[in-house]
Amino acid sequence: MMRAMYLANYFVAGCIASSFLGWIASLHPMSARAIAFLVAALAICWGLCWLLDFSVSSWLKISVSNFQAVLLAVLAMAIIGAGVFLCS
Amino acid sequence: MQLKMWILSGTAIALWLTPLVALDTKIGWHKSIQGLSLVAAISCALGAGNIARELSEQEEIEAFKTRAITADVVDEIATSAYISQQQRQQEAEQILAPPGEDVEEVRKALEAIYSAESEESEVTTIVTTSEPNPLDKSLYAEICEARKVNKSTTWIVENILKMKGRKFAEGKVKLQQLLSQFESDL
Repeated sequence: MMRAMYLANYFVAGCIASSFLGWIASLHPMSARAIAFLVAALAICWGLCWLLDFSVSSWLKISVSNFQAVLLAVLAMAIIGAGVFLCS
Repeated sequence: MQLKMWILSGTAIALWLTPLVALDTKIGWHKSIQGLSLVAAISCALGAGNIARELSEQEEIEAFKTRAITADVVDEIATSAYISQQQRQQEAEQILAPPGEDVEEVRKALEAIYSAESEESEVTTIVTTSEPNPLDKSLYAEICEARKVNKSTTWIVENILKMKGRKFAEGKVKLQQLLSQFESDL
């Protein structure tokens, strides 16, 4: 139960961070560009990690399934956070 | 601790969603309030996550302790059962297999008893052969009468010599002694 709560809280923190990035992007066109650049860089990193999951998981010393779960959770956090910010 | 975690989790979600929905983004101070509340929400969520992680680690430690105690108890029970079984086995072995010294002692004691008995019987035989007493004479007379009426040896031993059951063998010997004693005298 506590383990689930701990993972859920970090997931919510990721979602809020994603919304916060959206809020920063809404402040000024320059900040929007900077955030777009950051999001693009993160997306490239995410894609590379997804493609090189076996190598990266052995480098991080975690199992491949755990690493893939983390990648999917990051993607879900980004989508939910951005979705909440854009819909509000 | 757990209550704090729940409150922080709820606060994080409230601080995340409420300003985004309720406040107008076109107003300047609303925008800054949104930013502040998002930062506060992130810190609340991280704090709640840290507390939950500590609690989950404590739960794991408690589970380890419980498993260790259970294993200890099981081990103790198994050890005591093994020890009691060994003790019972030793007792049974001691009962079933007496040591060689005892056998030797028993053999010597039996030899001593047997030799004492044989000496005693020899003495009695000598005494009886040398001096026939009046009781023996009367017994012999009765035996002779019984033999005349064709009574069996068993009947004579049991009814005249009054030696039944375990004393029957002894009675037979006595009958033979009486017969040999008085018939040799005749």
